[in-house]
This record gives sequence, C-alpha cells and structure tokens, in this order.
Amino acid sequence: MITGLAALAALAAADTYAVTAAGRFASVSLGLATASIVLLVLGLLLRLPSTIPWALLAAAAGYLVGIQGRDTVDGWAAVIGVALLLAAELASWSIDHDKRIRSERALVVRRAATLAVLAAVALFVNFMLLAAAAVTAAAGTVVAAVGVAAAVTAVAIVLRLVRT
Amino acid sequence: MIRHATPKLAAYAGLSAAGLLAALVVARPELVALTAPFLLALAAGLVLATPPRFDVDVTLDRQRVLEGDIVTTRVALTASGPVDRLDLYVRLPPGVELEQGDNPMALRLRSGEQRELEFDVRAARWGGHVLGPTYLRARDPLGLLVWERTQPIRPELRAYPREDVLRRVLRPAETQVLSGNEVARAKGEGIEFADIRPWAPGDSLRRVNWRASARHSALRSELWVNEAHPERNTDVILFVDSFAEARLDGRSTLDLAVRATAALADSYVGRRDRVGLIGFGGILRWLVPGTGIVQLYRIVDALLDTQIVLSYYWREIDVIPRRTLPPNALVIALSPLLDARSVGALLDLRARGIDLAVIDVSPVPFTRRPADGLDAIAHDVWTLRRGALRHRLQRAGVAVAEWQVSTPLQAVLEEVRSFRRYARHARV
Repeated sequence: MITGLAALAALAAADTYAVTAAGRFASVSLGLATASIVLLVLGLLLRLPSTIPWALLAAAAGYLVGIQGRDTVDGWAAVIGVALLLAAELASWSIDHDKRIRSERALVVRRAATLAVLAAVALFVNFMLLAAAAVTAAAGTVVAAVGVAAAVTAVAIVLRLVRT
Repeated sequence: MIRHATPKLAAYAGLSAAGLLAALVVARPELVALTAPFLLALAAGLVLATPPRFDVDVTLDRQRVLEGDIVTTRVALTASGPVDRLDLYVRLPPGVELEQGDNPMALRLRSGEQRELEFDVRAARWGGHVLGPTYLRARDPLGLLVWERTQPIRPELRAYPREDVLRRVLRPAETQVLSGNEVARAKGEGIEFADIRPWAPGDSLRRVNWRASARHSALRSELWVNEAHPERNTDVILFVDSFAEARLDGRSTLDLAVRATAALADSYVGRRDRVGLIGFGGILRWLVPGTGIVQLYRIVDALLDTQIVLSYYWREIDVIPRRTLPPNALVIALSPLLDARSVGALLDLRARGIDLAVIDVSPVPFTRRPADGLDAIAHDVWTLRRGALRHRLQRAGVAVAEWQVSTPLQAVLEEVRSFRRYARHARV
C-alpha cells in the first residue's frame, strides 16, 4: 500500500512537471500524463506488472511532447528520469508484495536502501551526462548516449568487484 | 535451481532500448537522461545477480504426537554464498495447521551464514501427515532474476487420535482359553463362585465347602466342593467401515469411528484380550488378533492410514483371512451404514453365527436438513430408511446403537450392552 502510493506520487510528480513545463502541446502532455497515472493505478490494483512499462512510456512521451521546441537541454530531465525509475521500482515492490509472506525488517530496510542508493547514483550519472551534453542539444545526444554507456559500464564493474 | 527472468528485466531492457533509440532519432539528450536510470538498474541488477548457493533441512522436534498437539518445525539454512532475498514456504498438508510463527517467510542470508527458523504446527486431525515439499525462491537485489527450487525433504508426522477413556466395554458371549479379565461362563479354576457339586476323586480339599457338606451330611455322607468360573481372555475384532463417510466442517464419521476404535482397542488390550482389526473399504486391511501394548501400537498405526478410497469393487467377507476372524470372537463394527457393501458384509458375518455388535456412527449430524421442499422430504425419508436398516440388523440379532456426535461413546456402548443382555437370540 505504502509503496504503491509512493510509486503513484513519483509518477505524479514527473507528470506534473511535464504538464506545467509544456508549451503549446500542454493538452497532449496532460492527456498522456493522465493515461500514465490510469495505467499505473490499474496495474497496482489488478497486480499486473505488464502495465508498468506502458505507464512509464506514456509519462515519458508526455514529457517529450512538453519539451518540444526548446533549444536548450532541460536539466530537470535528470530528476524526471530518476522519478520514473522510482515509480517503476516502487510499483514492482507493491505488486510483488504478498501479505502472506512475512518479510524480515532487515530485508525491507535493505531493499529501501538499495533503491535509495540506485536513485542517488542514477541522479548523479544523469546530472553528469546532461552537463556534458548541454553544449548543444543535437551534438549532445550522441555524447550523452556514449556517456551513459561509459557510466553504466563503470558502475557495473565497481559492483562486480564489490560483490566478489 | 531453475532460473527465471522477471517481467521487470524485460520491461527495463525494452525501455532502455526504446529510450536510447528514440533519443538518437529525435536528437534530444533529455531522453537519454530518462533512459539512463533504467539502464543503470539493469546493469547493476545483472552484475549483482549471482546464483544462490544454500542448503536446507527441515526437521520436526517430534514425529509422533496426539491429535491436537503442537510440534515445532525447524528449518535449517546454510548459505555458502549471499542470498539477497529468499522466500521460503514449507507446504503443510490438510490436517496440519500453522499455530505460531511464520510460514511462508522472506529473509536474507549472508555468505557463510547459518540460520535456524522455527514455527509451530498443530496436528489438527489424526493421521499420517507428510510435511513439505519446501518451496524456495531466491531473487537478486534488484529483482531482475529469480531462482526457484523445490526441496524434496518431507518429514513425516504421525498424529494419533485422542481417545475416550472407557469405564466398561462390551463383553463377548464366549471366552477363549487363555487367562484374562473376563469371567467365563464355563466352570473351572477361578475366583468367581459358580456352584457347588459333590466331591469327586482328584478335587482339592481346599475347595471343599464345609458348610454345604455339613448341611447335606444329614441325608448323605458326602463332601461338597465349590465350583468357580475361570477368568479368561476374549477375542475382539474391531471392524472399521471405510467405504463411505459423511463430512461437515472438517469433521467426519470416519474421524469418530477411528477415535472410537482406538479407545476400544486400548480398553480391550488393557484387559489382556486379543484384539484384531479389519479396515473394510476401498482399501482392505486387517490385523490378526494379538495382545499387549505392541498390538495396540500396531492397531493405532494401522488406523492412521485409514481413509476413504473410492472403489466400485464389491467386497465380500470372504476376502478376509480366516485367522482374522477366530471362532468365538466378538466383532464390533463401527460403520455409518452408508454403503450397501458394508451392510451386506455385516449381515453376512451375522449369518455365519459371529457375535456381532454394530455402532452406527450416525451421519445425520453431518448433514443439513433443507428447510422445506422435496429436499427436506428426501432427507426425512433417508433418515427413516436408516432407522429401518438398524431395525433390520436388530431383527437379525445384531446389537445396534446409533452414535450421535454429541453422545459419549460410553453411553452408546451401554446401549449395545443392554440390547445384548436382554435381546433374544434370533435364528437367521
């Protein structure tokens, strides 16, 4: 219940920003944001994990429609990306949760901590990428894509070393 | 262990691929920023996902309990590698209920950690119960992959029925040759006074009844001796009808029959009688009569395996070995009288001259009479036909008593006892 509400809150925050920041396509953005919320609510209520990616896609599409026509890179995209990840993770947690299975408190704390660390690292990576790509939007896309690959690889190597 | 990918893995991979591709097509670095967290989660999850390595053992603190007793189940886990999340569930069979503790539960194991989990289960119903298998499901830290395993360890729990304490049991019409607690009708060496008779060569002087001899000496000068009834043992065969049962709210006629059989076996064995068992139903089983505590355990163990098995085979009493039905044995049948095959077998036993008593474990309390209509009439007709069936058995000389669930077994035995005492023998 708590995780489901938190997932909805994260997605609603991302959608709110997308709608408020939207220019002339605000109505389209609003429609997509509403669709994303509805899909997520349906997924949580019916415990259908397959609806989560569609809700995220709708939210991302709403955001993309909203920023169309801008010449500069929107720095809030870093936060929006993390908000979408949090929405997805918390919704998965909510759907996975089975009240018949009692979880140890340490397990819940560890999962929350893992999520927090993941969000923090993702936020950091996003800020770095957007800063690197903020020279010009067109050239910055390729730089950002390469940067994502590099950052993800670096994080993966570090985690592997820590795990072993 | 079997490895599965969760829907999250496919979703994150799809979102990452679609996001990066869309970013290149529309040339917006913001899309990369939206995608990067998912790609990061995907990479981190796959890198951290290592196959879980652990051993599980499930044990019970006791294997043999009485019905209603509580048993502690211990699950020992030894991890040789880290397990970030482990869901564990020990399947409980019908008749065994979770009393205290958690099952299923989720936990985390560090590398090299040994953990012992405990939960209490209650043997709610008599019988042989097999716990397990144990289902195990491990996940990586981000829930992208799942490993599943079924542990085949299946500890067995034998729950013996709680039995009534019987003050008095049915007395067989005939006794056997070995010594026991039953006063025989025949005369011989014993304590119970039977009669007096004239002295004969070989009679012990200790048995001379001097008072009677003095009284008779006026007429004839002879000695009179006391005669006694010897104490002998008896043979009792407990006949459990498992062709059919009536069940309601987790209780059944078979439960009552098994508990009563255990109580009767305990009482008769305590009297040093020989007790045998016939389980007459879809699965036929028997125990030749024996005595002593070992025989009691044999009977109770055999009762634990009693169950209703659907069978269309028409069994007759001929299939039972002769040694199981010794001469002069009292057969006590516990039957709901629901199946024509068991009723036929009982009549057949009586027709062979076997001393038979039937405890009709009434299925009526295990049914709900409809309020009105044809169903209510059918229920009433069925009840009347049951009465007619009991009357038919009584006319054949069989002592029958109906046992309602609320009536103590001792009261039913007394009813059978009074019938056997006062009823005339029928010619069949």
